[in-house]
Amino acid sequence: MDSPLAFGPKVRRVLAIWRFLGLVLLGALIGGVAALAAVGFVNAVVWLNDLLLISPRGRMMAADPGLVVLATLLVPTLGGLVVGQLHRGLPDGRPHTPADAIAAVQTRRGRLPARAGGLSALSGLVSLGAGASVGQYGPLVHLGATLGSQAARLLRLGRSEDNITIACGVAAAIAAAFNAPLAGIVFAHEVVLRHYALRAFAPVAAAAIVGHVLATQWLAQGALFHIADPAVPRPWEFALFLVLGGLGALVAGAYMHAILGMGRLAKRLPLPVSLRPALAGALLGLTALWVPDILGMGQETLRFATLAGAYGGGELLLVLGLKLAATALCLGLGFAGGVFSPALVIGTLFGALIGTLVAGLGGAQETFIFYAVCGMVAVTAPVIGAPLTTLLIVFELTGSYALTTAALASVTLASPLAAQLFGRSLFDIQLAQRGLDLSAGRGRAVLKEVRLAELISQDAVTLAPETPLERAISRLSRAGHGEAYRVDGEGRYRGCVTLADLEAHREAGAARTLADCPETPRPVLGPQASLWEAMHQLQRVTGEAIAVVDDEERFLGVAYESSIARAFLHHSDALRREEHGAG
Amino acid sequence: MPARRWLPGVVARLLPGLLAGLLALATLPLSSAVAEAPDEGGPLTVLSWGGAYERAQRRALFTPFTEATGMAVEAARYHGGLSDLRRAVAENAVPWDLIDMTRSEAMAACAEGLLEPLPADLAAPAPDGTPAAEDFLPGALGRCAISHSIFATVVAYRRDAFPGRRPTRIADLFDQERFPGPRALQRTPAANLEWALLSYRIPREALYRLLSTRRGLDLAFARLRGLDEIHWWQAGETPVEWLAEGKVVMASGYNGRFFAAMVERDLPIEILWDGQLQEHETWVIPRGAPNPVAARDFIRFATSSERQAELARHIPYGPARRSAAIQVTTHRDSGLDMRLHIPTHPLNAQGAVTKDEAWYARTQERIAALFREALLEE
Repeated sequence: MDSPLAFGPKVRRVLAIWRFLGLVLLGALIGGVAALAAVGFVNAVVWLNDLLLISPRGRMMAADPGLVVLATLLVPTLGGLVVGQLHRGLPDGRPHTPADAIAAVQTRRGRLPARAGGLSALSGLVSLGAGASVGQYGPLVHLGATLGSQAARLLRLGRSEDNITIACGVAAAIAAAFNAPLAGIVFAHEVVLRHYALRAFAPVAAAAIVGHVLATQWLAQGALFHIADPAVPRPWEFALFLVLGGLGALVAGAYMHAILGMGRLAKRLPLPVSLRPALAGALLGLTALWVPDILGMGQETLRFATLAGAYGGGELLLVLGLKLAATALCLGLGFAGGVFSPALVIGTLFGALIGTLVAGLGGAQETFIFYAVCGMVAVTAPVIGAPLTTLLIVFELTGSYALTTAALASVTLASPLAAQLFGRSLFDIQLAQRGLDLSAGRGRAVLKEVRLAELISQDAVTLAPETPLERAISRLSRAGHGEAYRVDGEGRYRGCVTLADLEAHREAGAARTLADCPETPRPVLGPQASLWEAMHQLQRVTGEAIAVVDDEERFLGVAYESSIARAFLHHSDALRREEHGAG
Repeated sequence: MPARRWLPGVVARLLPGLLAGLLALATLPLSSAVAEAPDEGGPLTVLSWGGAYERAQRRALFTPFTEATGMAVEAARYHGGLSDLRRAVAENAVPWDLIDMTRSEAMAACAEGLLEPLPADLAAPAPDGTPAAEDFLPGALGRCAISHSIFATVVAYRRDAFPGRRPTRIADLFDQERFPGPRALQRTPAANLEWALLSYRIPREALYRLLSTRRGLDLAFARLRGLDEIHWWQAGETPVEWLAEGKVVMASGYNGRFFAAMVERDLPIEILWDGQLQEHETWVIPRGAPNPVAARDFIRFATSSERQAELARHIPYGPARRSAAIQVTTHRDSGLDMRLHIPTHPLNAQGAVTKDEAWYARTQERIAALFREALLEE
């Protein structure tokens, strides 16, 4: 990137423009591939659900009721078995999710592995096809991100470009699956990139447009919801939407913690990891015999929840509770899939419940859809940490400005409240539990990802503890260093001594060898410690360097203060260029 | 869509008995050739729908066929459904040579083995030589049935019933405050369920997915039950008569019948095209028909581009083959531009729903039973 070639400024600018145009073109190409993958995925799920008697259509068309019961019990269970086996082929035994894509971009680690991405997509397809109560957009986002990352790898592009191509794949997948290009672009920025740079915007927009165009060609499904000129809510209802948003944040919190809690509980189950999804599938099927609404993504349930009178108040509460539990069960016990679609269903049911209550208290029936949509937004936005995306999805799917403003009212309170109480999103909470804290932004995340091992220098004076004082002083003086590191015959670190201290001991005549000198307190870090920790240590102690010592106390070398500062500047500069560069 | 939907079901059913099926397919032509008796002679009996539709068929198809072959064509009256055919096939006394059947019933009947399979090359190519498979609309050439027309079930209303207002959306069918007066609906689930659910502002793409749930069906039944006064009709001519008499102010019916009433009888009625339910009408030959050879000749004759275009000049059904659709011109009697009155015209087709015949073929009996239970047995 920082080519030292001696081109004139004009030539460099022309080259930069070509480079930028190439990136936009690459974005469009990635968008095309990711959108085709998304369209294929969505159609395959529909096909599997019809074939396996999971979708209402498939169930209705099966003439034999016994067959439907059998399928309800067996399909999710067998699907769980297959998913469990697929996950054995994954490095950490779990499917990759949008959280992994976010981590790759936020830490500039880049490079999403093709094998894990492909296997995760496949197990997502099996999970959804077999009727697990999980979402389809998570697998699509990760699949798009992986395709983008692989394109960058194929072309040997740098980290910044890798981040942009990941965002392109994500935007195209969302644009295609929802048929909502604006939401795709904003999602890529809001959730994945988490900054706004013109340099990234253009390729991402190109990808979203291509995704949108392809989806209108090949995705035969109708809009997720469709509302023709809804009534206008009365002014005081906006206050209700705001309150609904606040309550929605609590539902979102309950939903996220149910998923996380079930994940913790699963670890204590006396059952092999690969058999856990099958258990979830069996429990799901058993419950679905009673309430079939909880099977699968729940598109029909979502649609009915937007209609006044389709569910009674008690039914809404029952289906809401069961859907929440079913999703937590499926995701917690290891089915692969997203959290977005179930959140849409749960949120809409919750909004419908509030709408039913309001109607029962004498409120208007004709604005029922507003409550359903507000609930949907209030629960979904906090879960994925994307208030703007959720609003845009409402806008692009309904084309209704009135509904979008109502949704804005509800998300105003929902997102910040949930962020305060639970965290920015489920992804962020999961990453924090894996040790990646994104709450302080990308700068810290990047510094925390750089390992001290990369900065180790062997240019340090190491002396055995039995070295005579005189020799130690002369070695240090000749090497031009002020600090020496005591290392014993087995290579173990035995503390640091400074030249000044040694001189003082010689004058006092108190010590004969190095071992007699007391240690000068200096920070010691392991090779896996991060640049961030090193910076923190240096704030407290002044010294030349930090000794790097492994778990068995073996001395590995030192990290000089100057190289730590250089690395800090280098990474900050890369971030700045990526986030503020125009081309 | 139908092709994609169909595949899984077909595969699922075929997989277990794949070998047996292949064996049956291999021996089918041979055995049927041996078993087939020669035509008994006498007139060709066509089971069709009566009224203006039958009159149009007589002028455009039956009479020209008799002129060309010397074989008389008699029409018998059909009210839809498969029970009569089932009985006739079981008793080995099928009195008809041809049935003019909706595609959904043809699919169900074909699966039950009530129909003769048709040879793949039965339909003639277009006048310019385009093969029939490319000329016909997708899904028009079935194993036992060939689509000839696209007709629509629509709602029509009396122009004089709602002064200063006219219905514009299918939801208006259920709005008895703005559009008061009795309704006439067909005594079948089809169209009624679709319209009832559309009135909740459900997009048409989601209709059959939602009708596949008990909840969706209940919503539709509730909407229908909300109507004060429903007169259920069975024969296609009935709703026209009731509208003419003023017994009802809005009625469902076949677009062709309403057209005939407007043009030939000058009745003050208007068609509400929103929500029109488009369906394929097919020719089938029942198993054990007295004159199967002549029946096949008739199908080849009646589905030719020339005859199809001619039929659309008598009754406004959209021809099922492209070469015929582009030849449609004016109405034979009134000189009206027929393109504006066929369901497939872009102006009329904006709010059109394509009947999911695969869905009906597999669910007909159960849906009809639920429909009877919810609405007819009170």
